[in-house]
Amino acid sequence: MNATRILGWLAAAGLVAGLAAGFGYAPREAVQGNVQRIMYLHVPAVLTAYLAFGLVLVGSVGYLATRRPGWDRLAAAAAEIGVLFTGVTIASGSIWGKPTWGVWWTWDARLTSTAVLFCVYVGYLLLRAMAEDPEARARYAAVVGILGAVNIPIVHFSVKWWRALHQPSTILGPEPSPIAQPILTALAVNAVGFGLLFLYFLARRIEIARLEEDRDHRSALSFGSGAGRLEEEAR
Amino acid sequence: MMPDNWGYVVGAYGVAAVALYGYWRHLCRRARALGRNRRSRA
Repeated sequence: MNATRILGWLAAAGLVAGLAAGFGYAPREAVQGNVQRIMYLHVPAVLTAYLAFGLVLVGSVGYLATRRPGWDRLAAAAAEIGVLFTGVTIASGSIWGKPTWGVWWTWDARLTSTAVLFCVYVGYLLLRAMAEDPEARARYAAVVGILGAVNIPIVHFSVKWWRALHQPSTILGPEPSPIAQPILTALAVNAVGFGLLFLYFLARRIEIARLEEDRDHRSALSFGSGAGRLEEEAR
Repeated sequence: MMPDNWGYVVGAYGVAAVALYGYWRHLCRRARALGRNRRSRA
């Protein structure tokens, strides 16, 4: 069994443990009731998205510094998965917002900045899809990947900087977390499960990118040799 | 205290499950197609 497969099984086990912790171990929240259990999905999803976009920044800087395609593959894979987890964050937050705030969506600072973050990285993926020259694609994407990372602290600190409906940070805030221990433990188990799933997706996506580059390289070579044969025949 | 709203909980986890499972299937399909392509060229 290869390492990616092992990672996949670990991620599956982590997600099952997360569900057990979120629905079995963690108590019913005193004010919100059971709808608060959406937090065990919503918060790990956004933490994973932060991790993914942080890796896009690392990959982008790495590519511009070294011009090695491996860094570009890392950034592209992390961006795609980051968009997926941001989408899950927005969807789960919207569903949680309806019973607690009475609306599916409001132009609150945290929600709006997260929507901007999502759009920036969707734009990053569109840019990659449109650029044909691999070298130019990697260079342009790296610049967007670095500029896009500016949004991560804006999303995180938006609840501090602006008056917001969304609650302030309770996990990554400056003060000690006020969350009850069983709830914090369930959150941590889910965060680990999501982290493992992210690593599994990342490993698979990077492998696919490597295979795609290999395919493009081979087809460019066969096109080149085909064109050479045609030239010889024409002579 | 708020009512339990289990429907919203199921909805949120359901949407996430569909998105994550869908992405995983998408990766599997792409990897299989590339593997087939590689074997046919070899």
